[in-house]
Amino acid sequence: MKKYISLFLLVFLAAASVSVAQSDNISPARKQAIDSLALEKVKDLSKYISIIGSKETQFSEANRVMDRAEELFAPGAEMGVSSINRKEIAYYKVRRYFERLMALNYDRVNITWYDIQYISDLERQPDGRFVGVITIYQRFEGTSIESGMNYRDTTKKDITIYVEKKQTQIAGRTIEFWDVMLGDIRVTETSA
Amino acid sequence: MRKLVIVVLVILSSIELVSGQGLGSPGTIKDDGRFAASTKQVNQFFRRFNAEESVDGNQRYYPEDEFYRNRELRGKFISILFDNETSGISSDLKTTFMREVLSETLPQYINFHREGWFSEVEATFNYRGKIEKATLFLKLQPEGLGYEWVIDKVVFPPFKDIFKKPEGSNKSFLHPLSHELGFMNLRKAFQETNLPESFTTTDFQPDYLTLFLYEMKRGNLKFDNIRDVKFHFFQINNWYFELNQFNRPGFNTGWLISNLVKLKPGDKESILRYIYDQK
Repeated sequence: MKKYISLFLLVFLAAASVSVAQSDNISPARKQAIDSLALEKVKDLSKYISIIGSKETQFSEANRVMDRAEELFAPGAEMGVSSINRKEIAYYKVRRYFERLMALNYDRVNITWYDIQYISDLERQPDGRFVGVITIYQRFEGTSIESGMNYRDTTKKDITIYVEKKQTQIAGRTIEFWDVMLGDIRVTETSA
Repeated sequence: MRKLVIVVLVILSSIELVSGQGLGSPGTIKDDGRFAASTKQVNQFFRRFNAEESVDGNQRYYPEDEFYRNRELRGKFISILFDNETSGISSDLKTTFMREVLSETLPQYINFHREGWFSEVEATFNYRGKIEKATLFLKLQPEGLGYEWVIDKVVFPPFKDIFKKPEGSNKSFLHPLSHELGFMNLRKAFQETNLPESFTTTDFQPDYLTLFLYEMKRGNLKFDNIRDVKFHFFQINNWYFELNQFNRPGFNTGWLISNLVKLKPGDKESILRYIYDQK
């Protein structure tokens, strides 16, 4: 939480550094600060996914982490998953996706991330909120000791981010800041 | 080909230079350059086509930046934006296209918010208990404080055979003095033929989107899934290109130009008819 507060502050400072008249537009400096906050949330999601997917994680702990992970998302967010052999999208609510991840029948699960990401421009929606997409790549490795089964895939994750200007009261003063929530995620298996 | 190798090398070397990019936590896998080279989003296609981002994609260029829309950078980017493995676009055609787009006097750019590009989405629907394909055409429109994608047209094969207006002597008609009889002959017209479209104007065109939405509202048509997405661009003067996503091994992946046509007068209308009718 401390991390987010400092990032909020960063976003706020970036916002304060530009003209007040542009308050509904996002300047390059503010965009960069918003990108950092969004990436921070994506990193947290990655961390939570690794914990939920790990067999070493206790059931109660996994549930607690799922709650934290769910808090990153806007209500109603869905994961749309497809593989190379099955182009149709399987739709899951975020919680259901995490539960399926937790229930995977592997003794060892290793989830790692590629050192590359792409952040789109932010576009304004009809309701005034901004929307963007962050693309990241993940490698999943699952091993079952009993059957000797070894499964590995690399997926591209296109993560929706919603950016909204909010207000908070600090010491009687109204402070505006930009908040980021995660939205729908498209998961595509890659040929890598 | 040489350009492609150079751009891939530049991308690879830039990744080496940008330490700490990516998710950054320990244990991340180093990309061998393939994901960096891939045009990962349609947004990145726009930015690369216009040279509005750095080679590694980590920096967005704005008008005040030195390399914003830099002609040399654009040339390198555009050369890697073609599908080189399956589409068979000739080198000559690519060269002519690039020469016009990169013109020193009148360079041409693509614009996210401008008319002249739209999406074709192949989806499946459950129609009266049977899975049927439908092609939706979506375009971007201003709405409220921003923009939204809206359905502009639909092609749905089960509707195609519903309206078959007969021609010539096979076509029934309401004779020109029907009005004198208070159109009493409408009874015969509607009850004795199952081709009521015979009695419509010469330029009658069924509105398939309205029918499609009506069937959905009646509960006869339910969304099933998405099969494919592509984009059609007419934003470059006298050119058409199609954008498709390629998910395959190698460096020539992501959103790439899969079809390129130099347009002569009348060609745009023919291509649009072809796209919309799916002939």
